[in-house]
Amino acid sequence: MNGRSPILQLRNLTKTFGNFTAVKDINLDITEGEFFTIVGPSGSGKTTMLRMLTGMESATSGDILLRGTRINDLPANKRPTCMVFQSLALFPHRTVGQNIEFSLKIKNIAPDVRKARALQLMDQLRLPQDYYGKSVTKCSGGERQRVALARALAYDPDILFFDEPLSAIDYKLRKTLEKELKDIHRETGKTFIYITHSLEEAMVMSDRIGVMRAGQLVQVGSPQQIYGAPETKFVSEFVGDVNVMAVRAGGAATVHAAEFNIDFVSPSVPAGFAAGHLVVRPESLRFLSAHNEAQNCLEGRLYNEYVLGSRIQYQVRVNDHVFIVEKLRQQAFTGKLDDNVLIGWDAKDSILVTD
Amino acid sequence: MDGLTPRWRTSLIWSWTAAMVVFMYLPGLCLLLASMTSSRYFIFPINKWGFAWWEKTFASLEIHQLFRTSLLIAFCVTVIAVTIALFGALAFARYDWKGRSIYQKIVLLPIFFPQSVLGLSLLLWFNALGLTMSWQTAVFAHLVWIVPVCTLVISIQVYSFDPALEEAAFDLGATKWQVFKEVTLPVLFPGIFSGALFAFLLSWGNFPLSLYTTGADTTIPEFLYAKMVAGYTPGVPVLGTVSTVGAATLLLCGYAIILLVRRRRAASEHSET
Repeated sequence: MNGRSPILQLRNLTKTFGNFTAVKDINLDITEGEFFTIVGPSGSGKTTMLRMLTGMESATSGDILLRGTRINDLPANKRPTCMVFQSLALFPHRTVGQNIEFSLKIKNIAPDVRKARALQLMDQLRLPQDYYGKSVTKCSGGERQRVALARALAYDPDILFFDEPLSAIDYKLRKTLEKELKDIHRETGKTFIYITHSLEEAMVMSDRIGVMRAGQLVQVGSPQQIYGAPETKFVSEFVGDVNVMAVRAGGAATVHAAEFNIDFVSPSVPAGFAAGHLVVRPESLRFLSAHNEAQNCLEGRLYNEYVLGSRIQYQVRVNDHVFIVEKLRQQAFTGKLDDNVLIGWDAKDSILVTD
Repeated sequence: MDGLTPRWRTSLIWSWTAAMVVFMYLPGLCLLLASMTSSRYFIFPINKWGFAWWEKTFASLEIHQLFRTSLLIAFCVTVIAVTIALFGALAFARYDWKGRSIYQKIVLLPIFFPQSVLGLSLLLWFNALGLTMSWQTAVFAHLVWIVPVCTLVISIQVYSFDPALEEAAFDLGATKWQVFKEVTLPVLFPGIFSGALFAFLLSWGNFPLSLYTTGADTTIPEFLYAKMVAGYTPGVPVLGTVSTVGAATLLLCGYAIILLVRRRRAASEHSET
């Protein structure tokens, strides 16, 4: 992606509804051909932001630049972008073929050319050719997803937007479709902008992720960065389980956790750091047989055990604080419930975050 | 004893159902029977069967004129009511706007007016405005009552309409008009069709509003009433039967059209695969 020019640039993009600011001062560059995902809890403003980008909602202030041209006032039907809706919004009175060909029919393209294009897209999206004349209401959930995507691709947009299209799909099919979508992204080379409330979904597919909270982008980075180096407690808690301890500044590379009345060895403490949180992922925590096996150590009681399949998760109670420890199945811990156990981690496996 | 209970239950259900059917359709049947007499008066049991009054009725120019007036009014009411009600229903159920809840109540209110009172008050208004009563004023009077009903019928369809469909079409490059023509209208068609049937049938059978507002023009229900009050002939049940059967036929035709459209869609699906 290096060296490629930005396709979409957002400059101080803001949207207010009366007194409520839904999207606040967003600045973002999205690169040509990128798979960019915006993640956030419901009400974080991600849908409003997407609707501004597609042209279905107008921006209160700020600029949306498409390849350098301001497109704020361009209506949705004139923008070279297309969206896959959360409800998919397939036309129920039309067949699979007619749905896919809709934009081509609007452009007055000859029926045989339309049909050829539709069949080609169906082939690309692994939809059987004999579905061409099938009513969309008779398609399964996964097939409907593919029809919606084919319909959007038929428009040949520069940017494809996705508004949580997989949220209503069951787990197994969702995993398949996530991978297919990533394949389609590679095959078409188009820019994909995806929104979801599931960071897990975002990490599987995206080149970069932007985390939204209360109308603002709080962190933008690769899936690795978002998972491995969250800048705030909010981002760290957004994916999977996480151990978070309230700490305040101690020495140059130590922080004090009042809850346990102990100093932890931490990653280097930035200047001006007063208080924040120390974050340790469950897979970075491990059971110890002696205090000195890790830089930081706590003693607690093994409280519960959950089999997650390939991994096993343990709950360890230290005072009233519940820690989560995860191990791969083959390295399962032999301790029994209610045993006193030692858990620990090294400073390099922890992250110091603000707020 | 135990074995009898379900049998009893079944027979009770059946006799109740049969009683309801007889109760609902016996008057219609009597109407038909009353029309098939050759005598001048309404006498049961019928002593002289015959279709003389059917011939007379169909030959009558006056009756032809009645049909023309009733059809004309019902046709105009249907077209205007459906047009107003479609957009009314979109405002009613599709868009969220300030004052919508008041609008919903105001629109539905005329359904609850007693029609005879509504007819009278409309007559007073028409007079005050210096209008001459004719089939045109009757169309207006019918609309006052039928547009709300029609709006309600179409609204039911609009409530199940996903607004994202319109956005998707717009997003795919369609103009506002294309969105309406290609998506909104066809998706709402079943509701519009039932609305049109309702409008036609309610206008066709309406008596109280027509009574006050048709002036010199006469509709079939008005004529039937007048003849029953004074000057009964077996032509009355003939006309009543024809009018009822006509309405029923229209309903069945509507149903048949919907079935046909569905089958044709299914067939085209088949041929394209």
